Order: sequence, then C-alpha cells, then structure tokens
Amino acid sequence: MRLQDPGPGKWQLFRIWASIGLQSFGGGASTTFLIQRAFIEKHRWLSMEEFIRLWNLCILTPGINLVALTVLIGKKLGGTWGIVASLAGMLLPSATITCLLAAIFKQIEHVAAVQAVLRGVIPATGGIMLLVGLNFALPLIRRGYKEGVLYLLASSVLIIACALAVILLKLSVIIVLLGAVILGALFFSRKPVSPLLVEEERGKQQ
Amino acid sequence: MINPFIYFLLFLKASLFSTGGFSNLPSLHQDLIANGWAKEVDFGQSIAIGQISPGPNGLWVISLGYLTYGYPGAFLALIAITIPALLVLVISAGYTHIEHQAWVQGAMHGVSLAVVGLLLTVVWTILHQPGVDWKGLLIALGAFGLALSRKVNILIILGLAGLVGYLLYR
Repeated sequence: MRLQDPGPGKWQLFRIWASIGLQSFGGGASTTFLIQRAFIEKHRWLSMEEFIRLWNLCILTPGINLVALTVLIGKKLGGTWGIVASLAGMLLPSATITCLLAAIFKQIEHVAAVQAVLRGVIPATGGIMLLVGLNFALPLIRRGYKEGVLYLLASSVLIIACALAVILLKLSVIIVLLGAVILGALFFSRKPVSPLLVEEERGKQQ
Repeated sequence: MINPFIYFLLFLKASLFSTGGFSNLPSLHQDLIANGWAKEVDFGQSIAIGQISPGPNGLWVISLGYLTYGYPGAFLALIAITIPALLVLVISAGYTHIEHQAWVQGAMHGVSLAVVGLLLTVVWTILHQPGVDWKGLLIALGAFGLALSRKVNILIILGLAGLVGYLLYR
C-alpha cells in the first residue's frame, strides 16, 4: 500500500464533509459511495476493512447511521475537533438548504399548481419508501432462507406484527421496538459460537 | 401553543429509538398529532421536501421542524438528530465486549425486523395522506417500479411524479 497522506486539518475535514453532504441526493447509497471515494480512495486515510467495521457499529447506533459514521470517521482523523468539524460539514450546509426549501414551499403551498404537483410527489415518496423497506428486508430474508423455514416464517410474522401493532393497535413505537428486542433475544439467538470461530473472527479484524 | 422543551424531547425520543433516517416517523407521527402540533399533511410534505434536498435521508425532520414550528423547529430538529449519533462513541467502546454473545445477535435481528415493519407503517402513513386517491396509489406503484429498476435517479422519479400530479389534479 502507498504511504498514507498526512492527517487532514479541521477545515479540510469540514470542506470534504460539506461536499459529501451537498452532493448526496436520494439518500444513503450515494452518500456511502461518496464517503468511500473521499476517505478510502482519494486520501487513503481509511482502509476498506476499517470502514466496514465502523459501519457495523453505526448500524447499532440509534438515529441516522450516516451521521454516526461521520462522528466515527471524524474522531479517527481529528479527535474531538475532528468530530465537530465533520458533523458541522455534513449537517449544516445540507440542513440549511432543506430548511430554506421548506420555507420557500411554505410561501407557495397555496398555489393550485403546487398543490397539484405535490399530490403527485407525495405518493411517489411512499413508493420509494416501500423500496427502502424492501432493501432492509432482503438481507434478513436471505438469512431466513439459510436458517430454515421456521426461522423465515418467524421473521416474516415479526415484521407484520410490528407493522400492525403500530397501525391497528396504535401501540407506541418504543414498546414495539423493545418487544422486538426481547422476542429477538428469545427466538433468534443462535447456539453459542464456538471459541475457535471467535478467534478466527478476531484474527480477521486485526 | 407549542412547548419548545417538550417539542424537542419528542424529536429526541423519536430519534433515540430509531435506526436509519425514516424509522423516527411513526413515533413523531403519534406524538405530534396527539399534541395537535402537526397536521397529517405536514408529514407527506416534509418527506417530499427531504427527498429533493441534499444530505442524508434523515434530514427530512428538518423540514418537519420548519413546517410545524418555523426556524426554531428546524433548529431543534437538527440538534435532536445529532445527539443520538454521538452515542456511537459509547457503543464502539462497549460493543466489542458483547458482540459475540448469542442473545445480542438475536436481539439485533429482532430490531432489524421491527425496523422493516416500522418502515411499512411509514408507507402506510404517507399513502394515507389527505389527497391521495387511487390515481395517487398508481403513482406510488409507478415510482416503486422505477426505483426498483435502479436505472432512474430519484430526483427524476420525483420530477415525473410532480408532472403527472400537475396534469391530473390542476
């Protein structure tokens, strides 16, 4: 591997994250791609393995995974000020534009043409959201196939039960999530991984 | 009247108990509607605005903040989505000790499944907006198909949907 670039300065971090934030349209996938290109390919401050390990931690973190990833990469490259610079770069410019678009919308929302356009755009976002859900579901369903019919069936039942609990029973989302944690720990825990396997995993990570 | 402190706490709670950019919607929908601080239409509109603006998907709550409570709302929403992300520092310190426990893996699987279920409720909420009729459902289906093909940019899909809406409903 080529010699690494020297670490980035705070302003440089801010600028890189700002350009990633402003260039990402349509959410997750394009942002992840831009982050990989900037930090792994262009500047070589991170390896792909490190990136994947950081990403796994972000999936476990509440809230927006990409913002958590911003925190972790910021910390790795610049400590506490790296976190501040990275978060400010990722969030402030894009959030300002989002807010201004909402403000402009508020000014023109009563124009009949705008209302008509929205009646087309809103259901379309529903369709796109369905795909987001499907993308989340696919790896889970694939794992279900590997583990057997019962596992797959139990997984599907849990998905549908969570949706119905919120829509029909109006259960609080937090109760649904806590219920899923308990049910998951009870029914989806695999047999303890053999110590040998754990060692192998550790070897891979190092 | 909106109580800024409670308003902020509702956004923070929704964000703390969510994963990914949209799974905070069901919680916000329940709480803001119950308090009378948001209208049904605010949700569909915020997500539509979020889709056409840059940044991670989760920034749609900034426009929800603006539409329901002006600039203070947008600002409080931004703080509320930033704080939970900092928990990743705690998690990265602690997770390596427990990640190989079987029950942790099982619980994570349970959460992932719940997130899919909650995303379905997001779809339900959006398609239940006032003004979405059977033509709207066809537009949703079309948008889903185009997005599924992965050949058409999201902005183009939304542009087309806007055009169809203009032609159908003006």
